Amino acid sequence: MSAVFEQAVPAAPTEERITFSATGSEYFRIWIVNLLLSIVTLGIYSAWAKVRRNQYFYANTKLAGSSFEYHGNPMAILKGRIAALVLLGGYNVALRYSLPFGLVMMAVVAAVMPWLVWKSLQFSLHNSSYRGIRFGFRGSLGSAYLHYLVLPIFSVITIGLGTPFVHQRLKRYQHTESRYGGTHFSFDATVGEFYKTYAVFLGLMIGGGFALAIAGGVMGGVAGLLGGATGASGAVILLAIVGYAFMLCVGWALMAVLQNLIWNHTQLGAHRFKSTMTWPGLAGLYLTNTLGIIVTLGLFIPFAHVRALRYRLESTAVLVNGSLDDVVANNGGAVDSFGEGMADLTGFDLSL
Amino acid sequence: MDGGATLGTAVSGRYYDGVTSRAHRVVLRVRDGHACLEGEAERSAPLNELRVSERTTHAPRKLTFADEAVFEADDRGEMETLLHATGHRDSTVVWMQQSWRAVLMSFVALVVVLAAGYLFLLPAGAKLVARMLPASVERQLGEGVLDMLDRQVFRPTQLPASRRAELTQAFAQLAPPEDGAPPYRLAFRRSRIGPNAFALPSGDIVLTDELVNLLEDDKAVLATLAHELGHLHERHMTRRLIQGSVVAAAITVVVGDAGSLVAGVPALALDMHYSRDAEQEADDYAAAMLHQNGIPLSHMERLFVTLEGLEKENGAMPAYLASHPPSAERLARLRERAR
Repeated sequence: MSAVFEQAVPAAPTEERITFSATGSEYFRIWIVNLLLSIVTLGIYSAWAKVRRNQYFYANTKLAGSSFEYHGNPMAILKGRIAALVLLGGYNVALRYSLPFGLVMMAVVAAVMPWLVWKSLQFSLHNSSYRGIRFGFRGSLGSAYLHYLVLPIFSVITIGLGTPFVHQRLKRYQHTESRYGGTHFSFDATVGEFYKTYAVFLGLMIGGGFALAIAGGVMGGVAGLLGGATGASGAVILLAIVGYAFMLCVGWALMAVLQNLIWNHTQLGAHRFKSTMTWPGLAGLYLTNTLGIIVTLGLFIPFAHVRALRYRLESTAVLVNGSLDDVVANNGGAVDSFGEGMADLTGFDLSL
Repeated sequence: MDGGATLGTAVSGRYYDGVTSRAHRVVLRVRDGHACLEGEAERSAPLNELRVSERTTHAPRKLTFADEAVFEADDRGEMETLLHATGHRDSTVVWMQQSWRAVLMSFVALVVVLAAGYLFLLPAGAKLVARMLPASVERQLGEGVLDMLDRQVFRPTQLPASRRAELTQAFAQLAPPEDGAPPYRLAFRRSRIGPNAFALPSGDIVLTDELVNLLEDDKAVLATLAHELGHLHERHMTRRLIQGSVVAAAITVVVGDAGSLVAGVPALALDMHYSRDAEQEADDYAAAMLHQNGIPLSHMERLFVTLEGLEKENGAMPAYLASHPPSAERLARLRERAR
C-alpha cells in the first residue's frame, strides 16, 4: 500500500509521479484490430475503437497506486462523429464548388466551434475518473465563446502580439474550470511569464534565422564558385533542411517549456503539479517518432503514440499535500458527446 | 464451504465507494453468485450487476458496481483466476487484441481490404454515386468559379471571333462516343499560366489562346476539347471529390494524430493516382470520339508530342501536366490503341 493513504498530514508534500504501463507492442495489437474493424464497418466501429484505446491508456496510467478509468459511451461518440462528419463534409464540398457558399459555411463552423470545444471539454472530463470519482468541467458557454472565438480573433488582429496573453487566458480558463469530484483545479501562471517565455523563443527564432541566412550566403557563394549552379542549389536545399529542422527543434523546445510553465502553476485543491519536460527529451522523442513512422511506412504509429504519451505523463508528478483520500464526488448529469466527435475530427488535442 | 458456493480464492485490492476518493483495503470473495467485499468496507452484489474491465497485459483489473463504486485488484493474476472460475470470458475483440496470430491475420486482412477498396471498390462506388447525382447539382455548385478565375488568372482572348466560331462549330459537329453527353460552353481565354485547357463543373471548357497557337493544328485542338468533354461526361469532378473525401477520411482513421506532415504525402500520392486514372479515361474518351468522327488519331498524337516537347523544354512539369501521366506514356497508350 502506498504511504500516501496512511499518513496523517505530513510536514512536506509527498511527490507522486505518474507512471504509464502501456507498451507499444500491446497497443500495436489493439490498433490493428481497431483499424480492421473500423474500416470493415465503414467507420462505425471507430467510436468503439476510440473507447477501447482510451480505456487502455487510462487503465495503464497510475498515480499513487490507483489507475484512471475512461467511461466514454461509444454510441454517444458515434452520434457526435456522424454529426461532425456532416458538418465538415458540407463545409468541404461547399468550399470546393463555390467560394461564397464555402465562406458562409466557414463562418457557420467558426460560430459553432466554441460551443463544440465546450461540449468536448465537458465530455472528456466527465468521462474520466480516478479512484471512482469523475472529473468535470463547469465553465460557462459565454466564457467558452470569449476564450475560443473572441480571444483568438484578438490574437490575429494584434498580428500575434497578443498570443501569449491569449494562451495564458485559455489555459487559465481550461484549468480553473476543471474539477476532480468537488475539488477545483487552479492556475496561477501570470501573463508576464507567458510573454517572457514567448519572447525568449522569438529571439531564438530570429537569431537562428539570421545565423542561417549568413551561413547560407557564405556556403552558397563557396559552393557556387566550386560547383556552379548545381553546387549552389545543393547548398540551398541543405540550408532549407537545416532551417526546417532548427525551426522544428525551437518549436518543440517551446512546447516543453510551456508545458512545464503551465503545469508547475496548476493546483488541485492543496496539491501542486510538477512538470519536468526537457526540450532535448521532447525533440529527441518527436524526431525518432517521425523517422520511425516514415521508415516503417506507418507501422510505428502505435509505438510512437505510446512513447509520446509515456513521455508526457511520466514528466508529470503530483506534489501531494496531505492525502488524496478526501476528495468528494460531485455527481452532475450525463453529458452528450457531439462536441467530442467534432473535436476528434478537427484534430484538437485537449489532453494534458 | 457449503456446496462449493465459494469460488476460487480471495483477492485483495482497493475499493472506492464513488462518494469519496478514499481507498478502502478490502478482500474480494465470490459466494453464491455474489461478489462480496470485506475489510474496511463491506459490500455484496450479484455478479451480473458488475462490469468487468477488459483484460490487458499490465493494467489492473477492475470491477465496477452499478453505482460506479470500483474494486481494483492488487494482483492481476489472482483476479484473472477468480474471473475465470466465475465463468467470465473475454470478448472476441479482446481475444484478438491479445493474440499475435489473430493480429497478424487482421493485418493481412486490413491490407487486402484497403487495397481492394482503393483500387476497385471506391472508384466503382464513386462512379455509381456520380451517375445518380443530377448534373444540375454539379453545375449549380460550380457557378462563379469561372468568374473568379477571370478576375485572377485570365485575360480576354485575343483570338479573332471568326477563329473562335470556327473551332466551336467544328467541335459541335463531332458526335460524342456515348449518348448523353452533357451540355458545355467553350470559353476562350488568354492566360498567365501558359498553354492549358480544363473543364469546370459548371460545364465550361476553358481553352487558352496559348494552347491553340502552340498546337497549330485544329484537329489537335478538337482532340484536346474531346478530352475535356470526356472529363465532363464521365463526371470526373464529382467522382474525384468523393474519392478524395473517402481517402482523406480513411487516412485520418489510419494515421490518427501522427501529424499532418506524415499524413500529407501519402494522401497526395493516393489522390494523384486517381487523377492519372481520370486523365487516362478522358484520353480514351477523346480517342473514341475522334475515331467515331473519322479524324485520324495522329492529331491526338500531335497533341501529346507537343506536350512532351513542352515537358522537356521546361524541365519541370507545366501546369497542364501536373497530376497527369507523362505525355510519352499517354502517347504509347494511344499508339497501342490505334493498332
